Amino acid sequence: MPAFPGCSSISGMPNPHPVLRAAALAKHYGRRRALSGVDLDVPARRIVGLVGPNGAGKSTLLQLACGLIEPSAGTLSVLGARPAADAAHLARVGFVAQDAPVYASLTVADHLRMGARMNPRWDAPLARDRVAQAGLPLTQRAGRLSGGQRAQLALTLAAAKRPELLILDEPAAALDPLARDGFLRGLLQSVSDLGASAILSSHLLADVERVCDHLIVLAGARVQLAGDVPDLLAAHRRIPPGEPLPDGAERIHGAVVRTPAPAGAAVELSELVLAYLGRAAR
Amino acid sequence: MIWMSWRQFRTPALVGAVVLAALAAYLISTGLDIRSARDGYLAQCHAAGDCPAALSRLAGDYRTRLLLLAGVLGLVPALIGMFWCAPLIARELETGTHRLAWNQSVTRRRWLLVRLSTVLLAAMLVSLAASALLTWAAAPVDAIAGDRFATVNFGARYLSPVGQAALAAALGAVTGLFVRRTVPAMALTGLLVIAILFVMPNAVRPHLMPAQHLSRPMTAAAIDEARGLGTLGSAPVVRGIEVPGAWVTDVSELLTADGRPLDSRTFNECLMHAPKTGARGTFGDSSPCLASHDLHLDIAYQPNSRFWRFQVLETALYLALSALLCAFAVWRIRHRT
Repeated sequence: MPAFPGCSSISGMPNPHPVLRAAALAKHYGRRRALSGVDLDVPARRIVGLVGPNGAGKSTLLQLACGLIEPSAGTLSVLGARPAADAAHLARVGFVAQDAPVYASLTVADHLRMGARMNPRWDAPLARDRVAQAGLPLTQRAGRLSGGQRAQLALTLAAAKRPELLILDEPAAALDPLARDGFLRGLLQSVSDLGASAILSSHLLADVERVCDHLIVLAGARVQLAGDVPDLLAAHRRIPPGEPLPDGAERIHGAVVRTPAPAGAAVELSELVLAYLGRAAR
Repeated sequence: MIWMSWRQFRTPALVGAVVLAALAAYLISTGLDIRSARDGYLAQCHAAGDCPAALSRLAGDYRTRLLLLAGVLGLVPALIGMFWCAPLIARELETGTHRLAWNQSVTRRRWLLVRLSTVLLAAMLVSLAASALLTWAAAPVDAIAGDRFATVNFGARYLSPVGQAALAAALGAVTGLFVRRTVPAMALTGLLVIAILFVMPNAVRPHLMPAQHLSRPMTAAAIDEARGLGTLGSAPVVRGIEVPGAWVTDVSELLTADGRPLDSRTFNECLMHAPKTGARGTFGDSSPCLASHDLHLDIAYQPNSRFWRFQVLETALYLALSALLCAFAVWRIRHRT
């Protein structure tokens, strides 16, 4: 299916220092295309929501961004350099992988010590505060923490590096609603404390709606929509099928129409996402 | 990073230390046993005046036990490779914690280098300690036996075990990097290490230095010194040929004066229907019968004086292979996930 043309121009002004810039980025696993033809330009100081169905390539994109895997084709720069280019660049990016891996046999305190030993900009007070706030017992082995506590520990490790960009892959997926609420609140707090940017993937639209101000919709290995949330909302209207469209308007899916004209009614973010996902699945 | 590497290695290191301590206690008690037995024999034999015989009895008393110990210590590299090194990377990849480790402010290559150095160093220290203890314990018997190049013993004394441990450690780590699952990586490492430790003494060690050659005329007396006569394929061979103070690496078949193998018909004739001469050697009348055909053997051997050169060469070979494997892993890990 074709990439949605001009999706990166919806965000408006080009930013001179994008946190993430991809051009014709592709990742293949054997013959399977996990990502293909991805062009992105994510401005700094945003909380970016990466949404899409399972298998859309969200994890692949995030793992590319933190340098865990390498692109098959195209280019990707994060904070102006190749991902994981060197130790200094690694220090600028914090990553919480899917299901928040931690060392089961090490205690929470060991993890903090590891963070302190392996990161030159380690913020020990921040780490201690976050661990205390989340109620993580320092002497507890990480293997015996609950899913929510593990996610909190992993986020603490990533945040106390004081990165300029936090990347989180489905951070709240395994959490119950209460834990998820606490986790997202912690995340927002961390990002604002750090003055950092963040990219988080989720298949829960509600989470994204709540915390993100920039959106990337990924489906079928391609970017379907990307831009700052207010711009995206301003660029789309709800016009029921069958009704006439303004000049230059494009019907995305169902009632959602892409047009700058103030026709019809305003759309909601979830409606917008579903329209693009629906179009991609067609 | 060094702290983290040590922290993750702490439990296996402790287990290893306990095993090593038990082994060391046994080796020390064996060494003391041997020494007191030697002193006992010497005290007796000075009186009787037949010390060489007494000492060879001492060697006989302890040979089997020392050979078993060498065999057990020979497994140390395989155990190190399997339990210390195969899980090193495999477990990270299996449990997904590499995604945590590789996103700290330490490059993947440095991470791997530090982790590899930790286990390599530990592996070499442990094997050095074990080898030093066994070498010490066995010293009185080794001095009598004089077969310094014996397959198992050579690999269990002095430096060679250190090289073996380094290679096993590197092999375990690299296997883990590619197999990515702990238990299969451990099994494969064990098999590979044992294969290497079998191939090395049998196929590589004899050729570490060009062998010296001698041509030994097969007189009746020389034939009677052998352990056996027989045919290998169709060529008549002599088994159990020894060269004093040397390790025999290769013995030709029985050759005639013009350098061709003795034809098996003549050989069998001598074995079955030798003319009666009344010879009383190991092979009776067959020896003078064969000797009458003016036979000789080409023998390839390594003199015992080369022992240290062989120890150093073999250890260097192990270390070089280990370094190559480590370099390969460090080069490869940038592209692994």
